[in-house]
Amino acid sequence: MNIAVPTREQREAKLEGMGCKRKRVEDIRFTQGKGNYVDDVKLPGMLFGDFVRSQYAHARIKKIDASAALKVPGVLAVLTAEELKGVNLAWMPTLAGDVQMVLADGKVLFQSQEIAFVVAEDRYAAADGVEAVEVEYEDLPVLVDAFKALAPDAPLLREDIKDKMIGAHGPRKHHNHIFEWSMGDKDLTDAAFATAEVTTKDVISYHRTHPSPLETCQCVASFDKIKGELTVWGTFQAPHVIRTVASLLSKIPEHKIHIIAPDIGGGFGNKVGAYPGYICAIVASIVTGKPVKWVEDRIENLTATSFARDYHMTTEIAATKDGKVTALRVHVLADHGAFDACADPSKWPAGFFNICTGSYDFPVAHLVVDGIYTNKAPGGVAYRCSFRVTEAAYCIERAMDIMAQKLGMDAAEFRLKNFVRREQFPYHSALGWEYDSGDYHTAMNKAMEAIGYQQLRAEQAAKRAAFQRGETRDLRGIGISFFTEIVGAGPSRNCDILGVAMFDSCEIRVHPTGAAIARMGTKSQGQGHETTYAQIIATEIGIPADDIMVEEGNTDTAPYGLGTYGSRSTPVAGAAIAMASRKIKAKAQMIAAYMLEVHEDDLEWDIDGFRVKGLPEKYKGMKEIAWAAYNSPPPGLEPGLEAVSYYDPPNMTYPFGAYFCVMDIDVDTGVYKIRRFYALDDCGTRINPMIIEGQVHGGLTEAFAIAMGQEIRYDEIGNVVGGSFMDFFIPTAVETPKWETDYTVTPSPHHPIGAKGVGESPNVGGVPCFSNAVNDAFSFLGSRHIQMPHDHWRIWEVAKGLGLHG
Amino acid sequence: MDMSGERRIAANCKTVWAALNDPEILKQCIPGCESLEMQSPTDMTARVKLQIGPVKATFNGKVKLTELDPPNGYRITGEGSGGVAGFAKGSASVHLTENGRDTLMRYEVKADVGGKLAQLGGRLIDSTAKKLADEFFEKFTALVGPVTAPSAAPATTTKKVGWFKRWFGKNEPVAASR
Repeated sequence: MNIAVPTREQREAKLEGMGCKRKRVEDIRFTQGKGNYVDDVKLPGMLFGDFVRSQYAHARIKKIDASAALKVPGVLAVLTAEELKGVNLAWMPTLAGDVQMVLADGKVLFQSQEIAFVVAEDRYAAADGVEAVEVEYEDLPVLVDAFKALAPDAPLLREDIKDKMIGAHGPRKHHNHIFEWSMGDKDLTDAAFATAEVTTKDVISYHRTHPSPLETCQCVASFDKIKGELTVWGTFQAPHVIRTVASLLSKIPEHKIHIIAPDIGGGFGNKVGAYPGYICAIVASIVTGKPVKWVEDRIENLTATSFARDYHMTTEIAATKDGKVTALRVHVLADHGAFDACADPSKWPAGFFNICTGSYDFPVAHLVVDGIYTNKAPGGVAYRCSFRVTEAAYCIERAMDIMAQKLGMDAAEFRLKNFVRREQFPYHSALGWEYDSGDYHTAMNKAMEAIGYQQLRAEQAAKRAAFQRGETRDLRGIGISFFTEIVGAGPSRNCDILGVAMFDSCEIRVHPTGAAIARMGTKSQGQGHETTYAQIIATEIGIPADDIMVEEGNTDTAPYGLGTYGSRSTPVAGAAIAMASRKIKAKAQMIAAYMLEVHEDDLEWDIDGFRVKGLPEKYKGMKEIAWAAYNSPPPGLEPGLEAVSYYDPPNMTYPFGAYFCVMDIDVDTGVYKIRRFYALDDCGTRINPMIIEGQVHGGLTEAFAIAMGQEIRYDEIGNVVGGSFMDFFIPTAVETPKWETDYTVTPSPHHPIGAKGVGESPNVGGVPCFSNAVNDAFSFLGSRHIQMPHDHWRIWEVAKGLGLHG
Repeated sequence: MDMSGERRIAANCKTVWAALNDPEILKQCIPGCESLEMQSPTDMTARVKLQIGPVKATFNGKVKLTELDPPNGYRITGEGSGGVAGFAKGSASVHLTENGRDTLMRYEVKADVGGKLAQLGGRLIDSTAKKLADEFFEKFTALVGPVTAPSAAPATTTKKVGWFKRWFGKNEPVAASR
């Protein structure tokens, strides 16, 4: 019988390794309704908890009367701050070094703040109980305007720290001040501005919004009184951090806490932090001895469980008349809400906002961030971006457009003139980063050619002329953004969360038959880790991706890791996968050498096994090697084929991209049409092009939402307006434009496989691109900076303000 | 929200004034009013059942009359809590002037609505308030005297409007806002 020997291409294809458009393996269960989410966890005797929330943005609590609630059939307990004080949990530490009320202690500081936790036999009884709790308030003056927070007569919000004028990040200069954080060289920057030929200065605000994942935050806490063990199923982007924090807070030893993050329906940063719901469910389970489930509803999620952005960025650029930037100066007023619960690495109170020099070679720059308290929900999560990177990209990309406008230069030409050049990498930015690699000119030129940039500008000029002749009521806007991200937090020398260094991890076990399981410190919320991680292993050690199971989310089995956010999974855990794989490969090489009776230096790797150099027929595949590793290892070598790697990255990675948006705006209705949106991303080595494309589509859709209307707005007495899907803009297929995607590949030099991360790039680059398109449409009529979000009504207002309505 | 308006009532000033101070008449006029009790000549407690959009609640509130100037007017101030549905507080100054055999009633309202009512019902509050005020005046004029057309177009500048109008009930509304 003639057995066809598979070709190299066939062997390679069988692996479905890096570069393969492998279909997402997790979708087999998701598309058949077989996912297992927190709300699918149903335990015998399980109780339900629900919150009484504040109707006021700022009020003293005079009385909480739970007596009527306790008479509601099925209601078992009502927890308030008084009860939590008994276990020292009325307040909890935040990731940012502040403290936060778990349940309102004496006063409430934002609308929808948690006041009491009603525990009942079912959800209905819990909801009835919530309605029956009577809270007596005495209202206090409300502070919602960030620009008024530091006024001498601004209301005092945080009575608990009114005398503590040194915060977690240094001195506080006002009772509503949290920190001042500065970077760069002030004197050199001021000097550059003093002698600058052209300067711009604008307040560029990035409004408050919310990640709003499809699945809200939720958990099931189950305390076993006999064993003294706590198990929590929850929507956790970082399960191990939750375990450590839970242990520190509850004093339950860490080995007796089991954190399980099952399938998660989207996180986008919303599921990084620890919320009062988790604490209350745990305490309620300890008190009642029964499992307690807490599931927040949409309004609770939008109004109380974190927020994103809310940065007011006064941005100044200095440049020469011929268009060379000479300095950047930024002051940020950062509205953190009632408690500083921002989810940033602990030493970075404004995240990595100092990436705000962007893709441009600023010789000097200076940045000051003032964090402040207001009567708004706490949180400050990185909504589909690395820490404060989307704010930074918005600030610099808007400011570059404004400067180009002032100089009378084309916005693309102005960028090309100021890019960091390829030969400057690794590039040290004026605000302290070392950009690992980049080729901005190549990417920009490719993008401009693909979109037909010059042609677009010619069309725009014709359209503007027609508008001014009164032949059309449409304006054409061309939006450009060229962003540089900073992701993959991060090196332990400067990145930690409450002292836990931000490494990540991977453990791989190759089974005797050559199949394998990989366990990870990260946690997918839809990113497709089960698919892409297996592809890295497939390429590294020659086991088909289909034979590799990727497991995440159970702290008992997964190696300790810091979780998934800030596009860190591939840059950090992806590197750990490669390193663990290489340990396995090294042992496999020793075994193969023994099997082939040669020295291991005589072997070379060949797709899925080892071959003796010069003797191609002498070959051992990974399958055979795996069997031998367990059953006939070389003498002196211990059996088994597994490895674990904890990867501490030497640097962040710096993905970048060039985005273009073509938009038409009807000045009479404020309705816009996105004609084209082109996104070129460079995320280094591409592991699965199909997943990258999906990530880009999703990120652009969220960027579109944020730029064009998605907002958590507060009225003057602190009511959240826009806290439900009646108002909060979630684009559907109807509104979402068609996306054109493209790429260049500039691998990261320090990453084992050269990958940089991509999940958040489109949000970071997309928001300024849409906003620049709206601004560009009106710029020839004399507008300078139009604040986001650009919903139809606000665009109509702009047109009206410019006198376009006759 | 701020709202103001004027209403002509076919009764003399004294009659209208008396009715404005009569909890029985007010109770009948205020839509959804379950109870309205005089605690003192200037203090009342009220219980009103109300629905704005998706939010349905029973409000318990206190009402206080100040700046009494019989029979020319007063200021009526109130605040009420609807539990998880939210809260409202505000005041209205009411002025009566005799105009032939009729009385012109002028009112200026200032109010804040907060909590779930404002979160969810924000866009419905204005229209609901108008409807409730209409209902109030229909009843009030029917009880006090036959109604005639409003003497002047009422004006509003409204951000948010409270339910409380229905138990303060001094108003003839009201042009749509914004």
